[in-house]
Amino acid sequence: MSDMSDRDIIQRVLEGDVESFSHLVDRHYARCARVALRILGNREDAEEAIQDAFLRAYNALGDYEDRERFSAWLTRILVNQCRTVLARTKRRDALFADLDLQRLAFISSMESDDAVWPELEHVLDRLPAEQREAIVLKYADDLTYEEMSRITGAGESALKMRVQRAFARLRALLQEVHSV
Amino acid sequence: MSDWFEHRVARALRADVALGGDERARRRVMDRVRRAAAEGHPVRRRSEPWLRRSRNSIVGLSLAAGIGGLSTLSAVVPDARREVAGLSSVVIGDSVVSTLHDTLRLVRLMFDAPDARRVAVAGDFNRWDVDATPLARDSRSHRWSVTLAVRSGDHRYAFVVDGTRWVPDPRAGRSVRGDDGRIYSLLSVSRTAN
Repeated sequence: MSDMSDRDIIQRVLEGDVESFSHLVDRHYARCARVALRILGNREDAEEAIQDAFLRAYNALGDYEDRERFSAWLTRILVNQCRTVLARTKRRDALFADLDLQRLAFISSMESDDAVWPELEHVLDRLPAEQREAIVLKYADDLTYEEMSRITGAGESALKMRVQRAFARLRALLQEVHSV
Repeated sequence: MSDWFEHRVARALRADVALGGDERARRRVMDRVRRAAAEGHPVRRRSEPWLRRSRNSIVGLSLAAGIGGLSTLSAVVPDARREVAGLSSVVIGDSVVSTLHDTLRLVRLMFDAPDARRVAVAGDFNRWDVDATPLARDSRSHRWSVTLAVRSGDHRYAFVVDGTRWVPDPRAGRSVRGDDGRIYSLLSVSRTAN
């Protein structure tokens, strides 16, 4: 099954083989986790959004067309779920209140692997939602601007601008962390 | 803004994260999917890829033959008995085929589903569009029917009941398993009527 394409697996599911859907879950869960956690900034919310996204993807699988990458199609559903969760919980404000910049700076100083960047995970939450979504889709999901445009409904040039502004804002926020 | 900074942000964003034990989380996803599946399987609503690659559509053939759009044909020929009265017709199960043109035939499909709220036919002749060709219900017999123009050759089709359930035509003499694994009824329309 591991060598089957997403399209072949989807075909099996549409033929009634529900269990084949688990291969899509296995294949795409980690990527969805990267995206959802960084958009929502909260593990419980991220898991809820991912579960809902996979369920919606299953129910809508008959609408999927293979002209689009399945991963991008799934991300579109996931981003919508994240937006729903964000609107409902407004966790962002709560997390911001909990932010302990001194502790983060300490953790950062002990961290040797630069792929793990705890302050970044936290300051992401302080980006405007549109900028956070854009930079996460671009880098956590490796999407093209064209795919991002289809997912978000925003134009490609607007998305490029959001990513640039996100970088500028992150840089300022991270300097703020280190100056504590 | 330095390339180093962008590179490090990108690297950090690409790093995997764990959510409450990924294996358990994936299992929870599948639990919900199985519950959803128990209430009904998803069905493909778009044309099959191998059909999208097809260059000839029945609409194109209709236009080439100087016949109007398919959707109006059942209104043009509303009564199956008129088709039977045609000079050259063949019967496939209860389906009636009348000669209309060298390459097009009128086909009437019938389906008994007294409890169905809606029935449509999806086949290669309408690019597997489950909304394109609804069947009409006779108020007395409760039989569903539709008249189609199809070109000669073998055609795959199935009835779609209430938008979700794909059912082969019980009246069809033959059926085939499609590339997608489903059983489709086979409608064979000869170039020269029997």
